[in-house]
Amino acid sequence: MASSSIANETVDHASERGRFTLYKLITNRYFLYTVSLVGFFALWHWTAVNKIFQNSLATPKEVLDQVIRLTTMNFAGNNLWGHIWGSTQRVLVGFVLASLVATPLGLFMALNKTVNAIVKPLFDLFKPMPPIAWVSLAILWFGIGETSKVFIIIIGTFVPCLLNAYNGVRLVDPDLFDVIRVLGGSRRDEIFNVCLPASFPAIFAGLQISLSAAWTCVLAAELMNSRDGLGFLIKRGMDTHSPALVLSGMLLIAAAAWLSSLAIALLERKCCPWKRSIDNI
Amino acid sequence: MAYQTVVVKESALVRALPWISVIAFFILWEGVVRSGMIPPTMLASPSQVVSAFIDKIGDPNPDGAIMFTHFKTSIEEAFTGYVLALLVGIPLGLAMGWFKIAEGLFRPIFELIRPIPPIAWIPLTVFWFGIGLTGKVFIIWIAGIVPCVINAYVGVRMTNPVLIQMARTYGASDWQIFKQLCIPSSLPMVFGALQLALAYCWTNLVGAELLAADSGLGYLITMGGRVARPDLIVLGMICVGLSGAVIGFIIDRIEKKLLAGIRR
Repeated sequence: MASSSIANETVDHASERGRFTLYKLITNRYFLYTVSLVGFFALWHWTAVNKIFQNSLATPKEVLDQVIRLTTMNFAGNNLWGHIWGSTQRVLVGFVLASLVATPLGLFMALNKTVNAIVKPLFDLFKPMPPIAWVSLAILWFGIGETSKVFIIIIGTFVPCLLNAYNGVRLVDPDLFDVIRVLGGSRRDEIFNVCLPASFPAIFAGLQISLSAAWTCVLAAELMNSRDGLGFLIKRGMDTHSPALVLSGMLLIAAAAWLSSLAIALLERKCCPWKRSIDNI
Repeated sequence: MAYQTVVVKESALVRALPWISVIAFFILWEGVVRSGMIPPTMLASPSQVVSAFIDKIGDPNPDGAIMFTHFKTSIEEAFTGYVLALLVGIPLGLAMGWFKIAEGLFRPIFELIRPIPPIAWIPLTVFWFGIGLTGKVFIIWIAGIVPCVINAYVGVRMTNPVLIQMARTYGASDWQIFKQLCIPSSLPMVFGALQLALAYCWTNLVGAELLAADSGLGYLITMGGRVARPDLIVLGMICVGLSGAVIGFIIDRIEKKLLAGIRR
């Protein structure tokens, strides 16, 4: 029996089977998805071919050709995999360093009043500053090498990690604490059996957010200054006025960001299978 | 009495600690720069930043615009992009949440564009619109529209199904349910989007201005880097952070006023 749901309202379609009508076709989800994607690429192609943006938009075909050419050809000393690996490496180093420090610190802040009183105001001071604003200072401090890029990623990923771990513990259902106290649990039990598992979903949400922030940061850093990486491809495309190169860089970085967020989602499902979420968003 | 409310009075030390830590931070910052532990070419002390701010109020050197112009440019860009993102994103998200056809048509394109970091659009917008206002507004718009669509969509999807079924039983049309049930019940999520979108817009404003601009707070930061003036960089960063926080606070206030009757 096929069923779909809108606003949690489950509709069974078994009784609706029957004659094939035009109305049913245009409300079929997969039909609409196909129409949408075909329309999008057709519009893109049409815009590029008719030079709506002069020479500044490549057709989807040209972009695809460019990506294929990049996989075989050496571009500024690296083939495509080298550039992808360059960016991924920076993201991974920055993300792992930041989350390893920020998550425990966030948990610690939520559990200890004194630490919270000392760290929270400083953190509130830095929180509203966009990570990209650190680019100039990072270059001044660490030069234009790897360190400054990793530094920006750390700045960008630190905030969401810490904030989510902190809020995750703060928002634990107080009933759970009552239960474990009634059962005779110690402070240790409270922390390890209630606080940590209950804040897992929030921590993972933080990791998810900070990973996508990391891709934005690595892009910003590479656009400013670099010799490899996906941001470099985009920058080179900009300097040589090659829309195909820019667009292929954009698509590749989108794919990388999407894949890495998928990886975190899988990890989350492994680590906290009890978490319920709204499906398909 | 069944329940007893215990008011835990925090010790004077815990209440004073936040102030102590902020003051200590500034003293330490001033100290490391004054004593020369960090060379003055790399970091400016708070007092230097304040004096740079006072200078910049009337003096357009070395970046070619006074403080007021920087503020005006940035706020103009961010505000235009933000409002456009709300105007397009929220109705789109609401429609995608309730109408199957809207979801079917826009969801795939949205999912395709969503993972692209907004600053990746910079080169294309420079090709298309030049380095003027339009290009930056476009980037900010792209950044702000994503949280708007997602929150409005989820808000409609989370409407209490019992209410929808009841409305159906009483013979309400699809459009009536959407207008009178789904939209009001999605309002808290939609207002959540206002804050999120603001944060995204503000972050990407700096990104947009780092690469292509001739005035604005992000431009002040870039120019500070180019002429190696750490006081200007820090000044720009503080202005961006401070004004972002202030705007966020104002939106929070408006949200609380408007939602007074809805949020439980």
